[in-house]
Amino acid sequence: MKALYIASTGMSAQERNVEVISNNIANMRTTGFKRQRAEFQDLLYQQITRAGSQTSDQGTNLPAGVEIGSGVRTVATPRIMSQGSVEPTEKELDVAIRGEGFFMINMPDGRTAYTRDGSFDRSDQGTIVNSSGYELQPGITIPGTAKSVSISPDGMVEAVLANDSVPTQMGQLQLARFVNKAGLESLGDNLFGETAASGAPQIGTPNADGVGDLLEGYLEMSNVNSVTEIADLIAAQRAYEMNARVISGADEMMQSTTQLR
Amino acid sequence: MIKNAQLIGLSRQIALARQMDVVANNMANINTTGFKAEESLFEEYVGPVARDQDFMGKDQPLSYVQDWATMHDLSAGDMVQTGNPLDVAINGAGFFAVQTAGGDRWTKAGAFQINAGGTLVDLSGNPVLGDGGPIQFGPEETDVNISEDGAVSSSAGAKGRLRIVEFANPQAIKHEGGNLFSGGAPIAPNDSRVMQGFIEKSNVSGVSSMAEMIKVQRAYESAAALSQRQDDMRRSAIQRLGDPNA
Repeated sequence: MKALYIASTGMSAQERNVEVISNNIANMRTTGFKRQRAEFQDLLYQQITRAGSQTSDQGTNLPAGVEIGSGVRTVATPRIMSQGSVEPTEKELDVAIRGEGFFMINMPDGRTAYTRDGSFDRSDQGTIVNSSGYELQPGITIPGTAKSVSISPDGMVEAVLANDSVPTQMGQLQLARFVNKAGLESLGDNLFGETAASGAPQIGTPNADGVGDLLEGYLEMSNVNSVTEIADLIAAQRAYEMNARVISGADEMMQSTTQLR
Repeated sequence: MIKNAQLIGLSRQIALARQMDVVANNMANINTTGFKAEESLFEEYVGPVARDQDFMGKDQPLSYVQDWATMHDLSAGDMVQTGNPLDVAINGAGFFAVQTAGGDRWTKAGAFQINAGGTLVDLSGNPVLGDGGPIQFGPEETDVNISEDGAVSSSAGAKGRLRIVEFANPQAIKHEGGNLFSGGAPIAPNDSRVMQGFIEKSNVSGVSSMAEMIKVQRAYESAAALSQRQDDMRRSAIQRLGDPNA
């Protein structure tokens, strides 16, 4: 009775599904979070009689065969990289990206990570860092004497220094984009890493090069939609229960066989 | 005769156990994108097949049960809006074509991705075929648009048209696993519309699968009870006839 094992693949797939959904819901208010979706595929089929096998010498053949599947597997949990809603924060150095690009962050281990979370601050050295204190790339230092900092839609960082009345240019922000954004590796802490599937980053200037433009004083919220997540959760839970019921059904069938005297 | 009754009961149990496997597979794939449910079909198998007029007594025809086919239920699954530009569903009888190492395969699962090389691929990484081979995007391109007839375009212009196939006899295609079908004789589509931003969910109905499962389970139990009673009959026959005082 394969039904037991088939239904167990169904249960473990739905368990995965609930894990993905609960992570989405947990990150509903995470800045720059992109929701994931569990995608499933059916497993191999056992061909017991093949369609088209001959049934007589007159050349008649079977119009359909007997094929028994062996369950389901989780094939991928791709991220849906749609734009999240943009909320005003009125804080300088809070930047939202409208478009395809990612901010580049220098990780302590020397790698570059990519993020949509634009809640930046100044470090004690005056460099622009993310909320974990990792430096934004290209590195921009704002002197302590700066009175106000502004970031233009095309990524130019300007500061008004003490006693000045006109802003001074501090540096140019750049964004990276990927051919396959969904192939980025999730590193946690709102960061993504480059993989063979994502392809190499294409670095460009905001408002040009197709990387999107910047909005200062805004943050990009997560793109999780609570209504669809709850609907998915209910569907996953019911599917889990139905598979559990198949297991007990198969068990009862086997029981009626073993009880034969 | 009693032995035959048990064998008939056994043929029923074997067929039902297979049907249970089919139901379990449908149920396991209740959330699989583009999955098409399977249905078991049974037929009567009248035996013995060998007949000879030379035998003294006449052969008693015995009807066994045999599962001769699993049919694809190709009805449409629910269309769910995802808003993802690379999610496409086919409204109609058509299938998308993907390229695998073993040749072209057909799928209803239109949750596509773009891989590192810029090629449109399915979730297993197989290139999705357009009319002129795989569909390729450059690194700078944005705004992928897929129209109702399957024409793909991006910020860099037209990219070709998704290859959609239909089948005169869709039962001839085979489930391959991995959301793919193989075989069949593909013909040009005339009843397929491509919908961007949607995916087609599995067409398994939880309620009817559950009802079918309960029916299978009870039928199996009654077949088991039948062979139990046959056994009891045989036992009492042996006891009566084998009793030396009889």
